Amino acid sequence: MDFDFSDEQEQLRDAVRKWVDKAYSFDERKAIVASGGFSAPVYQALAELGLTGLYVQDAYGGMDMGPVEGMVVMEELGRGMLLEPLSHAWISSAVLQGFAPEELKQAWLPRIAAGEALVVLAHQERGLRYHLENCHTTASENNGVWHVSGHKSLVAAGDHAHAFLVPAQYQGQIAMFLVARSAATDTSHSYHAQDGSRMSELLLNNAPAELLTLQGLAALQLGVDVGIAALCAESVGLMEKTLTITAEYMNTRKQFGVPIAAFQALQHRAADMKMQLELGRSMSYYATLKLNAAADERSLAMSRAKLQMGRSTRHVGQEAVQLHGGIGVTDEYIVSHCFKRLTQMEMTFGDSLHHLGLVSAQMQETAGVFA
Amino acid sequence: MDLAFTPDEQAFREEVRAWVKAHLPQQLSHKVHNALRLSRDDMQAWALILGVKGWLGYGWPKEFGGPGWNAVQKHLFEEECALAGAPRVVPFGPVMVAPVIMAFGNAEQQQRFLPGIASGKVWWSQGYSEPGSGSDLASLKTRAERVGDKFIVNGQKTWTTLGQFGEWIFCLVRTSTEGKPQTGISFLLIDMKSPGVSVRPIKLLDGECEVNEVWFDNVEVPADNLIGQENKGWDYAKYLLAHERTNIADVNRAKRELERLKRIAKTEGVFDDMRFRDEIAKLEVDIIALEMMVLRVLSAEKSGKQSLDIAGLLKIRGSEIQQRYSELMMLAAGPFSLPFIYEAMDAGWQGDHVGAAHCAPLASTYFNMRKTTIYGGSNEVQRNIVAKTVLG
Repeated sequence: MDFDFSDEQEQLRDAVRKWVDKAYSFDERKAIVASGGFSAPVYQALAELGLTGLYVQDAYGGMDMGPVEGMVVMEELGRGMLLEPLSHAWISSAVLQGFAPEELKQAWLPRIAAGEALVVLAHQERGLRYHLENCHTTASENNGVWHVSGHKSLVAAGDHAHAFLVPAQYQGQIAMFLVARSAATDTSHSYHAQDGSRMSELLLNNAPAELLTLQGLAALQLGVDVGIAALCAESVGLMEKTLTITAEYMNTRKQFGVPIAAFQALQHRAADMKMQLELGRSMSYYATLKLNAAADERSLAMSRAKLQMGRSTRHVGQEAVQLHGGIGVTDEYIVSHCFKRLTQMEMTFGDSLHHLGLVSAQMQETAGVFA
Repeated sequence: MDLAFTPDEQAFREEVRAWVKAHLPQQLSHKVHNALRLSRDDMQAWALILGVKGWLGYGWPKEFGGPGWNAVQKHLFEEECALAGAPRVVPFGPVMVAPVIMAFGNAEQQQRFLPGIASGKVWWSQGYSEPGSGSDLASLKTRAERVGDKFIVNGQKTWTTLGQFGEWIFCLVRTSTEGKPQTGISFLLIDMKSPGVSVRPIKLLDGECEVNEVWFDNVEVPADNLIGQENKGWDYAKYLLAHERTNIADVNRAKRELERLKRIAKTEGVFDDMRFRDEIAKLEVDIIALEMMVLRVLSAEKSGKQSLDIAGLLKIRGSEIQQRYSELMMLAAGPFSLPFIYEAMDAGWQGDHVGAAHCAPLASTYFNMRKTTIYGGSNEVQRNIVAKTVLG
């Protein structure tokens, strides 16, 4: 039992933090939002830092790092409110490494690691809320050649992606496919999400596909779990930044002749924000350290962590706006952007009620970090 | 970073578990697991058993006869005791006053007092709060006047937990009214059999007398009983508070009580009621998050590499969770938590419980737990402290 970071992990944190400070200021981010919510040069910069290949094994040209390194990176990127869907590079590399046949791995992992290919998870559909175990998209096979048809929604930066991980129905089960962009994939309907990042509708018109695995649900669950762990860490970085901004404001803003930090009613709200941040951080560690556990144990742990994360992000975001007063609801000032990003985090990969349902359904007699 | 305990730590846990299993009397664990009334003798019986093994002072260093365990080992010991249903160690002697005597007492005081604490034979109480000094403890007024080689003590302490059984009491007393209130306080050990000491139990909302008023009327205390220097008592009290960090969150007990909550909810038929079950699920995640927070503090203490400013959070969260599980247990029993039959909370009572036997103590425990957000520095005072770490 040890929660210290190694020197190498601290160096990695430092490098990412420096990059955020230098290249991803609030103004920089605003410009990216204004130009659509995705920056290809930024994604290339992340690749040059080695971050797109963080989970990609040595043999495929990646950094072959583990969940703790992933957590450290995401905490720092959370501070910058990164718009680009780096976590999808981690999701796709984890799913490919966990489930794909060798030739598919060789074809895609080096390109993902190098940042040449953005491969995003496209699992959501209209009418299915956060449920993973169902989908309407279908797959067909003819002489070993696969095609998929359907409509995926809310695909991260879909119109910039080179390929998609697509769960689809095949013979009454969900199988997972890798679908490269082609004439039969349509992402023309793309739009901003709440936080200013980019999303797309993905129309699949009998699109040529490669079978990743017939164990589609297990692969999807792994992908979502990798995404949840990354998101938890990202939220910790952003909650910490949001609390710092709020504390600075409380020490600067004067009313009734004193800084508003002098008022106990507000001090206690700041203390409660700190509580939610630290509960969130504790469960982010938990998620990270359970990411390599057996699938059932891993997924339950992610649901527990995501439930805490959702409660924490909502609390910290709402309170940050309230403690700022009027300036907190303006578009000009950063804190409303923190709030919106935190809000979106709760509603990504299953919101708090969704995960509460999963935790509730799986309760055992004993419970604890080690149970 | 690693979530797992080391093989050595696992082996240590197994050793403690086996020993507790072999030595904890079943009649005690039965009471603890079912929240039945513990007598003075029950509490002391377990203290004496631990004392023989040398584990009552489980946080003590080897030089004072303790096992010399690190923060993680102490946690594992507490966890194994809690899960097995051992009574909580009454902390005033071994956990609270002993570290102060070790750090600031002289050799004579250490030889005189520590053996009785380590064996569990001498019952200690704490004399801090006064009727006019709760959260503002430094305003305390109990006066100790130096006359020759004695102190003459006059005043009143209150909320003295289990003081009706106390044989010795460690007190914060005022020895000076000059300067800041904090700088005129001394740390004095007082024999409760001294003439002029009187104790009156206070009946609480759960019908029990867990706390007391303690009066001092011209009580003569040998100057040899002063710990450290005169007027430095506040520093020693703060040292004591810093000494007890993760223990107050009581997460191990929370895990045990969560199991009990589930058992009660199943018996009462509300475990499959989604509205109720979801409340348990939320508490389960709360407890896991608290446990992770405790483990972070333990890891930081063990390695000394990180300084964490989250100890105040542990008290707030731990106390809220204690209140929540006791509340949910009572709600699980529903209307059958209403009968409040004093004798039904004793083990072996043969009368009609009205509801299931497990219902009898639920309201009492719920009432009792209201104290947790008040004592040990109220949660509002804790929030003041946490806010300082955020706002500077």
